[in-house]
Amino acid sequence: MSEDVKIIEKKKIPWDATMVFGFPDVGLVGVIATSHLISELDLAEVAYLDSKLLPPLIVLHEGLPHSPIRIFGDNDLLLAVSETAIPADIIHPIMNSLIDWGKNKKVKMMISLSGVPIQDRQNAQELKVFAAASTPETLKTVHEEGIEVLMEGYMVGPQAIMLQNCAKTDFPALTLLAQCFVNYPDPEAAAEVLKSLASITKVRVDVSKLLEKGEEIRLRARDIMKRTQQEMTKMKKAQEYDIPVYVS
Amino acid sequence: MSTRKKRSIFDIMDEYFEDLEEWTEELEERFGEKPSWNPKNCTIEPLRDITVTPTEVIVTVDLPYAQEKTVKVTPLDKNTIEVSAKMKKKMKYGDFGITHYKGEFHTLQCRARVPVPVHIQKMKTSFRKGVLEIRLPRKDEHEIPVE
Repeated sequence: MSEDVKIIEKKKIPWDATMVFGFPDVGLVGVIATSHLISELDLAEVAYLDSKLLPPLIVLHEGLPHSPIRIFGDNDLLLAVSETAIPADIIHPIMNSLIDWGKNKKVKMMISLSGVPIQDRQNAQELKVFAAASTPETLKTVHEEGIEVLMEGYMVGPQAIMLQNCAKTDFPALTLLAQCFVNYPDPEAAAEVLKSLASITKVRVDVSKLLEKGEEIRLRARDIMKRTQQEMTKMKKAQEYDIPVYVS
Repeated sequence: MSTRKKRSIFDIMDEYFEDLEEWTEELEERFGEKPSWNPKNCTIEPLRDITVTPTEVIVTVDLPYAQEKTVKVTPLDKNTIEVSAKMKKKMKYGDFGITHYKGEFHTLQCRARVPVPVHIQKMKTSFRKGVLEIRLPRKDEHEIPVE
């Protein structure tokens, strides 16, 4: 774990849980999906991230200060979520610290929720979900659940760090990516990614409320979306549109 | 011999300040450091996106809570458009749990500067799933002949 990043535990952390990441990225899919999970499953804050690398920022909820990056959970699930766009230059130490912390807590799998942008998103009739995994065995699980695999391409952002870190140690991890708007908060895509998460983890929540509150979420999430756009530009997110040269 | 209109120092200064204003607006837009809520005008600035293709410029604007019939696109000059829409319901800071600011918002409003010359009067618009799409055909002003 990076010395500059500390994870402060507030409650006893369960072993063998599934750890899910919902960090700001295209369409804010992961942030919207994990926020919905927290509210539907009534999850409590179990830990938070403290780091001098982050801007001098706190989030106030009901008059009390909170870290913008927190971990919520119960006995089976740990959700790492961020309420702020993570600066591109510190995303490595932040992600690696959270991943190392999860491994120390013997989580059984890590899953990152995010999106894959499509053109003419507003005209899309249905949104597909794609997956990529850290190990062939995890990829097989995805296949068995009927989720399409993202076969070739580049991946940029928190999910790229997670897959790379976990692949190094053969740790099971996967990222679920729903087709989405690139620059607009996308609650419909978040609902789709939650349906795929349910098929993999059996974490089931009703997504109808998420869809009902879609307009409110889109209005409320404009500011974090705007800041996320700036960080995505810095980390060269557009490289995800490139076609890789295959080197076997 | 070409005749060149002589410009006064005031013209040059006016131009300089216009450029400076434009640059400041661009910086504000790029870095997003101005609030997206304007309590004075009761407006909320929606998110927008601009894509330039070889034949057209596509501007999209995310308009949550917009009443479709009130969506308006107004050309302000040859390369700037303004989008506005009345909201289905008035929103207050309090609706988002904010207690230290006061204000009520009933309109979504933003401006978009198009980065290349376009036929602004030939724009076509559509509105689907709360997203407004404006297609502006590009002007062929800089064609280079291939010899």
